[in-house]
Amino acid sequence: MILLESHSVVIQNTLQERFNKPGSIDVQFVDFDGVRFRLSTPTSKEVIVLSMHMRCWEQLVKYGVDDVIKREYGSRVMAQPEAEYHVSIEYAIDSIPPAGEQRDELIKCASLLKRNALAAPFERAFATQKTLESSASTDLPGDLMEIRYRDEEAIYVQAANDRVTVVFSTIFKDETDRTFGKVFLQEFVDARRQNTAMQHAPQVLYSSRDPPLEIRNVPGLIRSDDVGYVTFVLFPQHFSSPDRMEATISHIQLFRDYLHYHIKCSKAYMHSRMRARVTEFLKVLNRAKMENREVERKTVSGRTLVHR
Amino acid sequence: MSSLRPYLAAVRSTLTAALALENFASQVVERHNLPEVEAATSGEVLLNPLTISRNEKEQVLIEPSINSVRMSIRIKQQDDIERILCHKFTRFMMMRAENFVILRRKPVQGYDISFLITNFHSETMLKHKLVDFIIQFMEEVDKEISETRLSLNARARIVAESYLATFG
Amino acid sequence: MSAPDAYNIAQVPLTAHAFSPDRSALALSTNSNDAQIYAKDGYDWQPISTLKQHDKLVTSIDWAPTTDRIVTCSQDRNAYVWTKESNPESPSQTIWKPTLVVLKINRAATQVRWSPLENKFAVASGARSICICSFDEEMNWWASKQIKKPIRSTVLSIDWHPNNVLLAAGSADMKARVFSTFLKEVDKKPPPNVWGDKFPWSTVCGEYSSSSGGWVHTVGFSPSGDAMAFASHDSTITIVYPAAPAVITLKTTMLPYVTLIWTAEDALIAAGHDCQPMLYSGASTGWKPVGSLDDVNGPRSSNFSSASSPRTPGGGGGGNGPAVGRLNNAAFNRFKDADSRGTSSIPGTPSSPGGGLFGGASGVSGGELMTVHQNTITSVRPYEWSPNGTVTKVSTTGVDGKLVIWNVSAAVGLAPKLAGVHLR
Repeated sequence: MILLESHSVVIQNTLQERFNKPGSIDVQFVDFDGVRFRLSTPTSKEVIVLSMHMRCWEQLVKYGVDDVIKREYGSRVMAQPEAEYHVSIEYAIDSIPPAGEQRDELIKCASLLKRNALAAPFERAFATQKTLESSASTDLPGDLMEIRYRDEEAIYVQAANDRVTVVFSTIFKDETDRTFGKVFLQEFVDARRQNTAMQHAPQVLYSSRDPPLEIRNVPGLIRSDDVGYVTFVLFPQHFSSPDRMEATISHIQLFRDYLHYHIKCSKAYMHSRMRARVTEFLKVLNRAKMENREVERKTVSGRTLVHR
Repeated sequence: MSSLRPYLAAVRSTLTAALALENFASQVVERHNLPEVEAATSGEVLLNPLTISRNEKEQVLIEPSINSVRMSIRIKQQDDIERILCHKFTRFMMMRAENFVILRRKPVQGYDISFLITNFHSETMLKHKLVDFIIQFMEEVDKEISETRLSLNARARIVAESYLATFG
Repeated sequence: MSAPDAYNIAQVPLTAHAFSPDRSALALSTNSNDAQIYAKDGYDWQPISTLKQHDKLVTSIDWAPTTDRIVTCSQDRNAYVWTKESNPESPSQTIWKPTLVVLKINRAATQVRWSPLENKFAVASGARSICICSFDEEMNWWASKQIKKPIRSTVLSIDWHPNNVLLAAGSADMKARVFSTFLKEVDKKPPPNVWGDKFPWSTVCGEYSSSSGGWVHTVGFSPSGDAMAFASHDSTITIVYPAAPAVITLKTTMLPYVTLIWTAEDALIAAGHDCQPMLYSGASTGWKPVGSLDDVNGPRSSNFSSASSPRTPGGGGGGNGPAVGRLNNAAFNRFKDADSRGTSSIPGTPSSPGGGLFGGASGVSGGELMTVHQNTITSVRPYEWSPNGTVTKVSTTGVDGKLVIWNVSAAVGLAPKLAGVHLR
């Protein structure tokens, strides 16, 4: 598995199972970036409630997340979310379409709850870009949107008249991560340049320590060697059609998780290699140890004269 | 690459000679028997330390004494990545120092890994095979680091290209 | 030609060995705090009694040929003289009774040797001194007197001059010296010899430096006492003729020698880290190597599995076939080795794929050295003499736990063999 998937497998599987065979449940689980979910049947077996907690919810509200949620989940959105959660969606079993394509569609949509919520600022940026482009009266970019989706890491989205810039700030917690991260990010930067098949991909820029120009005025940026900034420049072609837009949003959201996932995989691979190699070395060293075969033989045949 | 052979040959013969060890009780501390190269309390039982350099980045330090030899290796590191890999690898080994009986838990300053071979080791192990071990270690640790590095680069490329291709 | 007799005594180093006067018994230390007496049982050496008193590593043992007494010394700073007595519980048996020797040193004892008349013995020590011990009849104990000056480091080896007074000593201060150990209570005044005219206590009759400054591992007087040889860590052997006067230094290409003995007035055998005894011959005009007692090019199986090696015929000479369970044992060992060492243990397969690639030590094949001894030889001693007094057989022990008895003549036969006469 090289690419990560946007939907939550837990939600997908649980709903599939419960829609077929209703029963009471109460499960809580987390996804990437500390997003918490709860699937429960608080009132009756016949009503499943899916709730989500996101730490950047308040920011997302500013960028229109409520509209997106309403669009995607319509009347199922509960007016008052469960306590400790930001959004709750209600699935009454009797309102579920029969097993088939329609139901699968519904389940898929439910499992994309996090992705859809996080899509709000991107959708807004894409819309702003369209407005700026058509107005053509100003070169000023749109508002800079900040999504602090993790404790020390954030996504910044800004629309301009010909592009949408997405900046990820990310933390490499030790030297290995930093070095490995640099290797990976360098490849992201180089891939587009070196491979002609990548010409359509967004431009990628990378800097460590110093934030890129777009976000330089944001207060509270940490300036240390542990911080890296990755900038994606999305051009209108990347969100020209609804399908393109949807795919682009899904991918760009997961960039940080994708990067760190592969850094972890590389470290795990390096460890397994080291373990194998060190075991080999140990065997070579053990060959130097004097044989105790002779001792074992003595128990069978007694001490033995050695002749040549 | 061409200088690797003479480098390893020099290390092999120097180490073989340095491994002419004997059981030697301390003449400073009563009823003790310590590795003199570590104790360094009797000057006359220490031999001159030797440095064998292939280049600035790759060299070994061999410090012989009457009952022990300390050998330290500076492993080739071209850049940050190789430095990290080398550090990880040597640390990984040193954490298993009790299995690698001749491995020192801390390297001598300026080197990446140190071995301490005492007469007790050369009594229970065959000397020429101890030398084989060191030489093989030196050969393969370079190989291991550069291979790990290549695989990291390859993975990074695949990861970047797979990701960016989805925007196609 | 006569092959050496090799015995695997132990899997641990033998720190010292000494034969009984009649060669039927052998005193050994198997790298432990005890010395053990082995007796020959058929082809084999079996431990029969243990000399247990020391509480640190036993470093040296000597067995007096005439008085049949054993002396041992150890890193615990003590020496014991062991005498044979009949066991009070069963009078047919003999036991070894220890007598502590008050050495008055505060560091390890490194070597002990009876004097030729066996009324004294010398103990070399890490206290930068040599103890000369003699029996005090009045007090009924062994009294010790120390030679300290001008020794500046651990004394590694000693050897007695045939006149019972002079003692050669080699030490870690890179010097070999000849001392007088004249004790007026014990010794008669020796006549003048090449080393001097008068020999008052602790006179330095000669002091010689190792040629490039190596620890002097071993010293030895020639049978007449008119020459002294020493070998040092700089891989040299130096032979001193005070009469000529001549000091001959042989620079060898071998690893250092740590033990040597003279076999005749014109020949000596040295052995050490190269794991094979080498014969040298010469006179005050010059010395040259004769050859190794170990036929490195001889027929030798270098199999990993010693069960199939011709050097270790199974069944202890009794002709009994492979014991039941041997096969299982071999199979078990093969798998165990594959796991812990990564060796295939199939005869003829190089055991270390990476090793030996870059000019491995010569004479190494399949992981086993081509020499009989697989590790440093730490002690060589005379075993048998011809009627004219030259040593015809020597015994060696080493770190590999082997005892080997060699024919001195074996080395002489080396030249024609190298010329290709030896067919195999």
